[in-house]
Amino acid sequence: MNFKVELTRRTGLALLLAGALAGGSLFAGKAAADPAPYPVKVVTLVTHSSPGGGSDVFLRELSKYLGKYIDATFVVENVQGGSGAKAVARVAGAPADGSVFYATTPTYIYTSLLSKPPKTYKDLEPLVNIFADSEVVFTRADGPYKTLQDVIDKAKKDRGKWGAANPASLERQAAEQLKHAAGVNAAIVTHEGGGDMMLNVLNGTLDIGVGEFQELRSQIEAGKIRVLATFNPERLPEKPDVPTVKEAGFDVQLVKFRGLAGPKGLPDAVTKAWDTAIQKVLQDPEYKKEYTEEVLVAKFIDHKDYPTFVNSFATTTETFLKETGAIK
Amino acid sequence: MNKDTWSGVVLLAVAGAYYWATGAIPDSTLEDEVGAVGLPHVLAAALAVLGLVLLVRGALAARTEAAGGPEDEERDARLPRALGFLALGAAYVLLLPYVGYFIAVALLIGSVTLYEGAPRRWTVPVAALGGAALYWAVFVKLLGVSQPVGTLFQGLFS
Amino acid sequence: MTTFWDIVHLLTGTPLILVAIMGLTWGILGGALPGISASITMALVLPFTYTMDPAMAIALLACVYIGAEYGGSIPAILIRTPGTNSSAATVIDGYELNRQGRAGEALGISLMSGVVGSLFGLAMLVLLTEPLSWLALAFTPPSYFGLGILGLSVIASMTGGSLVKGLAAAVIGLMIATVGTDPISGVTRFTFDVPDLLNGVEPVLVMVGLFALTELMSQSGSTSLTQLKESVRIRLPSLSMMNKLKRSQTIGCILGLFEGLTPGGGGSIAAFMSYNEARRWSKTPEKFGKGSEEGVAAPETANNTVASTALIPLLSFGIPSSNSTAVLLGGLLMHGLLPGPRLFEQNPQVIDSLYVGSFVAIIAQIGVGMLLLPAAVWLVNRPRPYRAGFIFALILSGIYTLNTSTFDLGIALALGVVGYLMRRTGFPFLPMILGVVLGHMVESSYRRSLVLSGGDMMVFLQDPICVGLLLAATGFVIFSLTRELRDARRAKAQHIRDHQTHGQEAHG
Repeated sequence: MNFKVELTRRTGLALLLAGALAGGSLFAGKAAADPAPYPVKVVTLVTHSSPGGGSDVFLRELSKYLGKYIDATFVVENVQGGSGAKAVARVAGAPADGSVFYATTPTYIYTSLLSKPPKTYKDLEPLVNIFADSEVVFTRADGPYKTLQDVIDKAKKDRGKWGAANPASLERQAAEQLKHAAGVNAAIVTHEGGGDMMLNVLNGTLDIGVGEFQELRSQIEAGKIRVLATFNPERLPEKPDVPTVKEAGFDVQLVKFRGLAGPKGLPDAVTKAWDTAIQKVLQDPEYKKEYTEEVLVAKFIDHKDYPTFVNSFATTTETFLKETGAIK
Repeated sequence: MNKDTWSGVVLLAVAGAYYWATGAIPDSTLEDEVGAVGLPHVLAAALAVLGLVLLVRGALAARTEAAGGPEDEERDARLPRALGFLALGAAYVLLLPYVGYFIAVALLIGSVTLYEGAPRRWTVPVAALGGAALYWAVFVKLLGVSQPVGTLFQGLFS
Repeated sequence: MTTFWDIVHLLTGTPLILVAIMGLTWGILGGALPGISASITMALVLPFTYTMDPAMAIALLACVYIGAEYGGSIPAILIRTPGTNSSAATVIDGYELNRQGRAGEALGISLMSGVVGSLFGLAMLVLLTEPLSWLALAFTPPSYFGLGILGLSVIASMTGGSLVKGLAAAVIGLMIATVGTDPISGVTRFTFDVPDLLNGVEPVLVMVGLFALTELMSQSGSTSLTQLKESVRIRLPSLSMMNKLKRSQTIGCILGLFEGLTPGGGGSIAAFMSYNEARRWSKTPEKFGKGSEEGVAAPETANNTVASTALIPLLSFGIPSSNSTAVLLGGLLMHGLLPGPRLFEQNPQVIDSLYVGSFVAIIAQIGVGMLLLPAAVWLVNRPRPYRAGFIFALILSGIYTLNTSTFDLGIALALGVVGYLMRRTGFPFLPMILGVVLGHMVESSYRRSLVLSGGDMMVFLQDPICVGLLLAATGFVIFSLTRELRDARRAKAQHIRDHQTHGQEAHG
């Protein structure tokens, strides 16, 4: 039943990346610039999120600009259900001619590992990575904590109360690793998504929350929430005064990636076209303005290196889940 | 055996099966004190107790008088008839991926209409095809739901 | 500052009226299709709003929400199928009125109650967003546990005469709610490695299986027609009727306001609780379950109130309290609008058009409803065999849209068998549905509270909201049980009397 789990998924995703769609369109047309030739005419981009959800918005937004650089029409298809397992199965079974791709997020790794569906991330070929989301540690602005060290000190003396948005998620993993690295005692409370957790940070039930920057933007602007640190490997371009967790003295970092994957055996012509197009689209001034506003960090990984990246992410996750006993 | 006794037996069986299935829930160190199996164990126990109470009550009632259900239930369709109705739905679910949405819905409407005793006239196929066209227009065209095309015809449309 | 002329400009200078009525109509249609919930109806129009003016897009989505919350009551009354989760409570007395040939009246009551609830909710949204938003902040995990238990306490009055069977049904409902991903540790429970079960069993599948499929199965082959009279007319409630419904509608408004404010509550819990409260405060509680007008008015007022008050936490904190508001949030973000305190300062035109559009939609609901309802009534008036075929096909088509999954269809059919057996053996459906709806919230907030307190049970007694809600729940249970026992004794005495009279007549 879990309308709440469902809610989580939708909300979490809805908050990512959204925002920049004003003036967008359902189908991205071919733009005036000189697009590179492409073997197929229509490219379907599949996501497991519902219309308006994070990956959905990401794809629609991206496809608006892709037409300038790849000579094809882009269509977004929502294959919901099974936390992404069905979308993965849909893409894994599609012809490997560059006509169908799946929007990757850590979700598809988690689903593959936790529920062992018939088709997993191993049945897809990672194409390119495009972005990394910004993951931060935050607290309420009028609370007692000014730095991450304050929070750790409190957890050392007393007992910390930390929030993570979802039970089996990258944020949970980060919080557990931080607790371990700092060697402190903290209760890690999982929630039904970022909004639910933010309420508990605002009303003082929790010391800190670990979540996506995108979900906090309005409360940060309103001065209700203070960002203490980021789990990203580098500081956020928009918040240069916020240190990384690593700089604060704890060797924990995470990359919530966002890219594309296709069926196995993609031809070279296709992968090359994407390598070039994504690099160009990330430089597109209009698109850059939009995704920068969303606090998305451009993180291009080409087709040669992306499978290694995804596999090492999956291995780390699998190790974590096995250590905790969530999977055998 | 009367209805209460039967119900008690079924509840006990459900409780047992549910309890057995909790064995497959993995232990995780991310767990709280209650744990993922905490509530399921309580629920299994509660259902078992309720099942026992029904069983005993049914057995006691059987000795004194034959329990009769409310009038409303007696007018209901008998089990085989009701299951037959549902079987048409099950056939729809099984056929759907192969023959596609339009044909499956037409078959469902037609077969249910006949099963429910409509006279065998031209109106039945007309209603079935008309209904299928209507639902196809609403769900596939208007709402944009991707109802299955059907593997039989995949080559024709794509 | 919004002036009168800004409002006039909104109404005349832009197609806001058109947008509001289109959104409303779409919402009613989507809400009326079983399985297509309010959130799905909204998500389906979302892609079309990409190119719209942001103020219009948000107004459109809000109007779809209003329409969908109302639309769900139509199939609930006409074919015993709740069109949305929150109209499940309307099924009880709405369908009963329909069986008595009073469908037109029931539809009129649900229409007007919807309007009353929506207007109240909108007034709260416009006037009290700021003061009310603190209430959402006051809810900590223990408070949610109290709220969930209060919801479950309704079961005590819905046992249908047998406490043991009612409780057993509730436990089975709670068992269904445990399927899926564990809310605290994230391990999978009872999913048997089926990906379709990862997110659990959708409550609407349980409702459709138990209510609608069971009804279709039980009626199979029946010749005694529970068919409406051909001449049925939609009758808006008269003034004296509205007066009679005042109490239940007030209850619906208050509970709808409360549930809309608290994330996770949502329309279905508000509807069930107000149904129960309306019965408690009614002058004629014995009519509930046997075709009570108040039994339709209370839940329909409540779920329509929620459609507006759920926007309060959304607009002030950016926190969606239901799937539907999550879609609305997606719409806001898509247009670069960040919900939160600054939205009101930076984009007042969006807020204005949201308020004005909702108001237009609520008023238009009466007209649109009166136009659409006769068509709906005509449709369910076809000869029974055809009607059965079309309803069955409609249900199976509708629930497929939930996750585009044939697996969900299988679950619904299986629950149809369960429902049929429950009906034949005298198990009530409502406790099971409440268990499914509330199980997740009760379990996760209980465990979350204990994680916070380090296992100390005192955490529940230290939270004043939780204590208040738990006390209320205890009161409900005691009150309901004593009444159920009394009613059962009376019914038994009555039964014996009838039996004796019958016996004498037979002799005479």
